[in-house]
Amino acid sequence: MAKYYDIDDILAEDELVPAIFKVAANEVGLIDSSDDTNKVESGSKVELPFWLASELHLRQAVSVGFPRCFNKRTQEEIKADAAHVDLRNRCPYFYELGCKIVLLTGDKSIGPVLLVAFMTRYKEVLIKAHTTSLTVAPKSLTLLTNEEAKLYEAARSSTAAVKKWRMGGPRLKKASVLGRKRKPVE
Amino acid sequence: MAGQSDPSGSTFAAAELEFLAEDETVEIVPNMRMDTLDFICGQYEKLTQILEAERDSLDLFQPLPFHYVEISRLLFDHARDDIPDVYLVRSLIEDIKDVRFHKIGTGMEKLAGRASAIVLKHISAMEVNIVRPFTARALETFYKLDSPEMLPDSERGAVKHSQVADHGQRRPLRPNR
Repeated sequence: MAKYYDIDDILAEDELVPAIFKVAANEVGLIDSSDDTNKVESGSKVELPFWLASELHLRQAVSVGFPRCFNKRTQEEIKADAAHVDLRNRCPYFYELGCKIVLLTGDKSIGPVLLVAFMTRYKEVLIKAHTTSLTVAPKSLTLLTNEEAKLYEAARSSTAAVKKWRMGGPRLKKASVLGRKRKPVE
Repeated sequence: MAGQSDPSGSTFAAAELEFLAEDETVEIVPNMRMDTLDFICGQYEKLTQILEAERDSLDLFQPLPFHYVEISRLLFDHARDDIPDVYLVRSLIEDIKDVRFHKIGTGMEKLAGRASAIVLKHISAMEVNIVRPFTARALETFYKLDSPEMLPDSERGAVKHSQVADHGQRRPLRPNR
């Protein structure tokens, strides 16, 4: 809950993570809809949004694992060619969610993967953001996670703003108030 | 002091920078016959030298006026008749700017891992303003991902070079200076 008003932070916490119930819980059948008993057995595997899983984890009710987007295969792909892995499709909040899970569970095994992935992909974003033409969005943009897309957008908009400034345009604008005629005082 | 156009107040719009640049003193030449023009960086012939120097050294930026981009544009807009060889001067400045910006780009590619400060000597206002939003965001992410809480002890230092303390390190834009 570090960034209470940050919509991206909220959406990142909405991603599903796998969790295993350590205790049996009544009246929460909708989480595990495999039967009608309206309860979750101890040891059953469910997918919960991160915000719920983290609260339950803190209460020792579930153990949280890494979602599929951090599985072996993705890790291999990142090691092979991080720049061309479609992370957006796997998890639009790859880094955010990864950080949150690591901090929650203390399992640091994916830390290096996150760092290497960002290091490689950051360079791609850097080059593309400052070189590609401003009107056409490059195709590789669809591979970027939400965080990377924002990075790209930040670079692109500042470059565009400077371009616009150099092209000129209206330099000094008259305030709308000044155009009006003052009413004569009676 | 921060820009007014940005809702978060953290960056300046280009026009705001230009406004600030108008405070800078420029050397002017009386309106009479003259041999050389005193331009922003002194004599006009110097621009070619600066371009050469800029091209020669990959690591360093030449010391130019902090607002050289803005001032040169203002001069070209308002005093173009007073500048001899205005097209040449203009293209020289464009070239200098392109070389410098390319240098910033290649320097930023080297960025990796936690850094508390990036040293950019002689960078101008417009140049730093262009890269500011991107760099701030990227550094923030690097800071988060490269923190001790995120990496197993065995991996720390393996991914990148050794680390000083927790607060990160100062990092020159081009580490191989």
